[in-house]
Amino acid sequence: MVAKITQPVAEDVDLVEWYYEQGFSDGLPVVPPTPEKPSAVLAALGGEPDLVECRVPPRWGNLTREVLAVNIVMAGCKPEYAPVVRAAMLALSGPAFNLNGVQATTHMASPLIVVNGPVRNEIGMNAGANVFGSGNRANATIGRAVRLILLNVGGGRPGELDKSTLGHPSKYTYCIAENEEASPWAPYHVEQGYEAEDSTVFAIAAEAPHSVTNHIANDPEGVLDSVVSAMSTIAHNNAVSSGACVVVIGPEHGATIASKGWTRSDVRSYLWMNTKNTFADVSFNHRYGTVYNRNLPRWYGRAPESRTPIVPSPNEIHLFVAGGEAGRFSAFIPGWGHMTSPVIRAIDGRPPASGPVCVDGTCAL
Amino acid sequence: MSTRATRRERTVYDPRGVVEAEPRSIAPRLEAGSAIRLGVLDNTKWNARKLLQATVAELESGGAIGEVRYYKKETFSKNAAPDLIRQIAQENDAVLTAVGD
Repeated sequence: MVAKITQPVAEDVDLVEWYYEQGFSDGLPVVPPTPEKPSAVLAALGGEPDLVECRVPPRWGNLTREVLAVNIVMAGCKPEYAPVVRAAMLALSGPAFNLNGVQATTHMASPLIVVNGPVRNEIGMNAGANVFGSGNRANATIGRAVRLILLNVGGGRPGELDKSTLGHPSKYTYCIAENEEASPWAPYHVEQGYEAEDSTVFAIAAEAPHSVTNHIANDPEGVLDSVVSAMSTIAHNNAVSSGACVVVIGPEHGATIASKGWTRSDVRSYLWMNTKNTFADVSFNHRYGTVYNRNLPRWYGRAPESRTPIVPSPNEIHLFVAGGEAGRFSAFIPGWGHMTSPVIRAIDGRPPASGPVCVDGTCAL
Repeated sequence: MSTRATRRERTVYDPRGVVEAEPRSIAPRLEAGSAIRLGVLDNTKWNARKLLQATVAELESGGAIGEVRYYKKETFSKNAAPDLIRQIAQENDAVLTAVGD
């Protein structure tokens, strides 16, 4: 079935106000999608306006290429951003991400999109100063396009199908690029098996970033102990629901850590091993009755002194380098919990090219 | 000479996309007086079990419940597994669940 998605309005109607009145906005003015603009975006997506890219919960609206193009225009994107928005939506709509739950939860989680690879520079994304903040069209409008689709096609309207108690500011837009140029390590997507020349989107349901300040330490342990401190609270969702999280290392902190030869794996493992929550912490020492907590892994100890890791393994700490060249700051970004899995997807949809690393017939596991 | 101006129009888009779901009717009401086989589906939320236990106690005190069977979802944020839904449907006349956030 192909439904007509256009309708006529009088030429003197203020379209910005018209879209507000229809309830098709995120609260900010949208760019009116007069026909020539979606056509240009549609061309960047490969044409075929009626092709259904995915269905978006909890409303389960069909995201056809035409509807995708309309929302991309409304967000203020240039046509060349369109493949990134499409890849993000395809990443979010697969079963691993559980977008239905992310959209409807009372928690504040919102999808964070991190872009890797050459597309970052091709479309002018910001991976440097104020990376999570305002000022860059690509970052701002790609994230906004995702949010408009979640609102319009997914029906995630606050108080209706979106039951978030508080939400957070990144429910307007939440998209950054990794600062591969300032990173002492291989890019995140290369760690995940892609080639450096591939472009990818990573998506995780996430809380807002929490700043990690450390102007003193000149070794990896000192810098990372500040990250550990940010992670070791009982207030965020990972503490009580496990799952995955993100750590963003600022370039200055990254240089300090790497100066001692530490790898990405070293960083993730150190963070995982040194967080300090115990089961007494997350159960309030059973002050309100005996707690088992079915949302933590079965293999976590339930004795009061049992260490309660923030996430079940170092691999669930997703590590990026981003931010400006000056400043000794990093960030911890808690996830939603075990109810969702982060996903990565190439912009062109191809799986990672690299297989197991094998030498003379013996393969590393 | 006519004074009536022609009202000009332009085209705008609805950004919502089509929903293709088919409407389904709800199950018929259970007959009063019969001993109901009640399935209780715990979604694993923090307070779901407390709410369900209190509700079952209330229902049992009314005398309408024949037997009660308990089930648990793997996680509160996802649909129950299809096999579990089939099992609940086969073994019960009604099912009770709660969010319990």
